[in-house]
Amino acid sequence: MTPDTDERDDSALLRAVARGDEDALAALYDRHAGWLSVRLSRRCARPDLVDHTVQDTFLAVWRDAGAYRGDGDVAAYIWGIGVRRLIDAIRREGSAKHRLPWRSTEPEDVVSAEDQVLLGIEHGHLGQALAQLSPELRAALEATVLDGLTCAEAGTLLGIAEGTVKSRCHRARQALRAALADQARLETPRSRRQGWETS
Amino acid sequence: MTVDVRNDGVLVEGLSRRYGQIRALDGLNLNLERGITGLLGPNGAGKSTLMSVLATVNEPDTGQVSVFGLNPRNGGERVEIRRRLGYLPQELGYHRHFTVAAFLDYVAILKEIVGRRRRAEEVARVLALVGMERFGRRRIRGLSGGFRQRLAIAQALLGSPELLILDEPTAGLDTEQRLRFRELLSNLPGDPVIVLSTHQADDIAAICPRVVVMLDGQVRFAGTPAALAESAAGHVWTADQRNESAHLSWRDGDARWRHIGDHPPADHEAAKPTVEDGYLMLSQTKEA
Amino acid sequence: MTLSFSGATGPTAGASWHPSDDDLAGYANGAADGVAAWSVESHLGACASCRSAVSAQADGEQLARNRAVLLALVAIPDGGRLRRLVCRCGIPDHLLSLLTATSSLRRSWLLAVVGVLAVVTGEAVLVQHLWPGGGPPGMTWHPGAAELAPFLLVGPLLVLAGVAAAFMPAMDPSYRLAVAAPFSGLTLLLVRSVSALVAALLPVVCAAFVMPGPSWLPAAVLLPSLAVCALALAAVTTVGPVAAVVAAGALWVVPVVWLAAARSSLEVVQGHGQALCAVVFVAAVLVVFVRRDRLEMGWVQQ
Repeated sequence: MTPDTDERDDSALLRAVARGDEDALAALYDRHAGWLSVRLSRRCARPDLVDHTVQDTFLAVWRDAGAYRGDGDVAAYIWGIGVRRLIDAIRREGSAKHRLPWRSTEPEDVVSAEDQVLLGIEHGHLGQALAQLSPELRAALEATVLDGLTCAEAGTLLGIAEGTVKSRCHRARQALRAALADQARLETPRSRRQGWETS
Repeated sequence: MTVDVRNDGVLVEGLSRRYGQIRALDGLNLNLERGITGLLGPNGAGKSTLMSVLATVNEPDTGQVSVFGLNPRNGGERVEIRRRLGYLPQELGYHRHFTVAAFLDYVAILKEIVGRRRRAEEVARVLALVGMERFGRRRIRGLSGGFRQRLAIAQALLGSPELLILDEPTAGLDTEQRLRFRELLSNLPGDPVIVLSTHQADDIAAICPRVVVMLDGQVRFAGTPAALAESAAGHVWTADQRNESAHLSWRDGDARWRHIGDHPPADHEAAKPTVEDGYLMLSQTKEA
Repeated sequence: MTLSFSGATGPTAGASWHPSDDDLAGYANGAADGVAAWSVESHLGACASCRSAVSAQADGEQLARNRAVLLALVAIPDGGRLRRLVCRCGIPDHLLSLLTATSSLRRSWLLAVVGVLAVVTGEAVLVQHLWPGGGPPGMTWHPGAAELAPFLLVGPLLVLAGVAAAFMPAMDPSYRLAVAAPFSGLTLLLVRSVSALVAALLPVVCAAFVMPGPSWLPAAVLLPSLAVCALALAAVTTVGPVAAVVAAGALWVVPVVWLAAARSSLEVVQGHGQALCAVVFVAAVLVVFVRRDRLEMGWVQQ
């Protein structure tokens, strides 16, 4: 892969792309396409769809760079385009299940709570609480919170109905609140309670 | 060899084509197998006419042509031949406003490559083959002759054709580009039937395992370059002075005179014949 | 796989925390499970160096291939938003690409057509304006008819020129490539010719509105234009392209000039003229249909 040798920062590159600078687009690609491919692959098991999505994402960046207002992070902007292109691609393909199965469905791969304790590693309350969620609830929450998708888009990505996404998010949040509250009760008074910001 | 050339290569029998009084092709017979065949001949020998007939662009007056067992006179089979064809005509023209990528996309559509992404993949592939990856948005009219020729070669490679017909592909290429072209041709996957015409005997010597010499619309030699060179054995010699009895004389790289003739003088300094010598010998014999 | 958290998690994570190399590797190869992956991902949103680390783990060859395809997609012109809109209406995208190789659909050509029409129309309007009652002094004047002759002559000829430029081999520098390709020569010819026809008719009809003449003039130039073009295409199935275009053009020029000399220019586009044009058009279309094999651009003169 071409090493990232361009000195300009992301915003400058994007502005250059808006002016029609093809080298700037190539530089943006070299900088961002790698992690974008990896991140998209975690949501879609079809490598060809991921490849097409990466291509289409940067093509969209090329076409619409002028519309970028300079607000917010370029990486987040690219991710926003990418994940929506992926959803479009999945929708076009028509079949429901494209998601990588969560590894935690295979018990051997789960990093169990015992392992973490045994290794003496400290981990935060939120991590623990998330680990206690079932995979479906966690997936719904990830799609809406982490990926920033609407419930409809999350439904397409996960292969479930929009209403199901909503109810799973709701249950996930309830479960998290309950788990955090439990942990707080069990904690020594010196520990801080973590705030959980709902989006 | 038990390969049935009729179905796996190109077979030409008794091909004739005339333009007014000129016989461009005169009862020509030819077998072309997979691999590279070089077509050597002077201007007016009929090379371009033969290539245009093989490319189904030109209709012969008489004779049979069979391309992979298909007959170009039959409409449906002609289209099928075209599906497997890559053609580089002599002096290919371009619409003035086209960019490199736009032109390749256009040819890809003509080659029935369906889907925008599929065409982009093919365009990227052939541009990489000819070393013009960053030239996509350049206008063709701004390109030098060498790059235009590389573009012309690239369009012939679209769709990975099984039959590649290249009319003077090395015209306008400098030495380094010719070397890259030879490398490209030798490394094409799929082992297509490749016919290329050229004036340069060293192109033939370097890449073509088979050479066909054409003169006056007929095939005068078909075999290996070594055999062509060997056919001039005993008829090539060098001397310090020019010898008038030779058919052809010219100064070679060592500032001596090289001669080709039927009757070398008794005390001649024989020279190892090259492919070019064999070719010149043939063309002289015709005139004699 | 282990994950180390130093204190706060969630959206307000401290800038000092980075996943370890193992964490990133696990994330990249898909081994990390939901919680760990989520943690890495939300960190990636904010940290360029960890993004680079993840990028380095991606499949370099595939990335290079996608890069080449991306640059090709960028380089291949897509005609912009208007064209994407047209594509949604069902017209296949590749047909629109074929049209870009047509000279008479280029802006320069169409501007030339508009220019010629402007001159012809302008002249007629000027004459009308300067001598509203009669012609210039010294000239015999027949109201309404004479100043239309240039327009009646030029209008259909401009449309013919557009269609001719669309199918004549001489106007296509890469014609031999089109012949040697499997794409149907007939489809190519028809797509280009019909598009050129429409593109040339529009300015001609618009000019007819501007022309000082009868109000039915815009409708009246339609059939003659269509007839002349169809005639050229029908003739191409028999004679060469140049001869066909010249013949079709002459078959229009001769009656127009003759009628103009007889001071009754408008007859060519009135009742009998229109009927004749309609007959010619239908006959020519039938000929084209029956002899469409000849239009496959099968063979050329080398």
